[in-house]
Amino acid sequence: MPTNATTQGILTASAALGGQGIALEAKHLSRAIAGKVLVDDISVQVQPGEILAVVGPSGAGKSSFLRLLNRLDEPTGGTVFFQGQDYRTIAPQTLRRRVGMVMQMASLFPGTVADNIAFGPRQNQKTIAPEQILALLGRVGLPGYKDRDVSHLSGGEAQRVSLARTLANDPVVLLLDEPTSALDDASERGIEGLLLSIIRERQMTCVMITHDMPQATRIAHRTMIIEAGKMVAIGLTEEVLRAG
Amino acid sequence: MLAEVMHSLSRDVLEGFAQAGVAIGLCLVVALLCRRFAVHVERETVVSLARGLAQMTLVGLILALLLQRHLLVGGFILLAMTGAAALTAARRAQGIPDALRLSFYSIAAGSGIVVAGMLTTGTLAANVATLVPVGSMIVANTMNACAQALERFRAEVTAHVGQVEAGLALGADPAVAVAPCMERAVYASLLPRLDMLKSLGLVWIPGVMAGMVVSGASPLYAGIYQFVIVAMILAASGITGLVATLLIRARVFSPAAQLLLRPSEPRPVVAGYAGPGKEA
Repeated sequence: MPTNATTQGILTASAALGGQGIALEAKHLSRAIAGKVLVDDISVQVQPGEILAVVGPSGAGKSSFLRLLNRLDEPTGGTVFFQGQDYRTIAPQTLRRRVGMVMQMASLFPGTVADNIAFGPRQNQKTIAPEQILALLGRVGLPGYKDRDVSHLSGGEAQRVSLARTLANDPVVLLLDEPTSALDDASERGIEGLLLSIIRERQMTCVMITHDMPQATRIAHRTMIIEAGKMVAIGLTEEVLRAG
Repeated sequence: MLAEVMHSLSRDVLEGFAQAGVAIGLCLVVALLCRRFAVHVERETVVSLARGLAQMTLVGLILALLLQRHLLVGGFILLAMTGAAALTAARRAQGIPDALRLSFYSIAAGSGIVVAGMLTTGTLAANVATLVPVGSMIVANTMNACAQALERFRAEVTAHVGQVEAGLALGADPAVAVAPCMERAVYASLLPRLDMLKSLGLVWIPGVMAGMVVSGASPLYAGIYQFVIVAMILAASGITGLVATLLIRARVFSPAAQLLLRPSEPRPVVAGYAGPGKEA
């Protein structure tokens, strides 16, 4: 049964996933700006390999919640634990390499596809080998795109490059902010299938915002519903959606 | 002191006022001409002419009083001008946090370093009569460079929030994430000064050269010295632009590398952004 009691949701999912510990934990996470509450006291735990969907109406605080998870914004209350460590004790750059994020809009840097993919590792004084770039592009379904200028890519292709760019950092947790919402149906299904296979293959933990309930059903182990910044329900996806 | 003032009010000063009267008359004729075409600038023209004449007369008087004073007096005058310039630049830098202090430091750095360099190398004569006019030209130009750098930086960042945050989300340092914004801001602040240098002598003959020639200096030396002044203005503007963008960069990110500067309303992604760490 879906519940607004976090613990029960975790226990249910934990049983489904085999209970392997906690990859990411939001503890009383809140954010308010100029008196407006965007995220209101959300506590949730995400286990390694779990896919958690975050759904809710527009303006409910889903993106605000996600941005708090890799500290792109600062919580005004509570904190996040990454692999058991309070993320305020981790350098933000290090944290963001481990907790990768794919945004709603690809926001690629002008240049070639390879330049974009090499960007993340370069920030960590690492050079990504051309073969690794080719392998990543092959994995996201863009073989032969290495030297393409990003200005010539379609929306779906740009989003695939954005995903490859994030994966190049080899993150442990993947945050997805409606990565398919700006795409047509065909591209959406393509990206969705790709995400699912990569997440499973790399055994990544994933928190994904979606406005599409059927998409949550297809992808997520658990689903959390946010309304007006508050978590109003969490549990196994089918149960939450059936109850909602 | 009084004798110096009286000396300044000599015949050539009266002649100067007469020449100013002619110039004012010509401007008023133009204002009336504009009125015939429904362009109403009469009031503004009169106010501007009155202010301009009063201010320049006052500056002339102050210079006459301070001509023989210690160089430090000139330094204090330039410092006061820097404060006034910072106020103006900060007013033009809407939405920039701590704009006044930031502008003051930037203008003081650009002007101060260049004026000190010029004095040390003897490029600028170490007397108040030379220091204040040349210094004020440099301060005025660094004021514009500062305002242009700040405004352009703000515009670049708010137009490219997506790319800046994509860089941050990939683990980039704030300095790397906004590097293209900085490059463009500094370049934008330098562009008018670069154009000024390119058009020097071709499109305009600046005041210093004209003044030197009128006072009987060799036109060749006056031309070369004018180039020196404009080059120093470029150098001062470059320092100011760099300092201003470095200071503002530190203020638009939180200690946890979060972007604090945001557009008031969502803006579309603008094409042509160079991307973090890339040349434009």
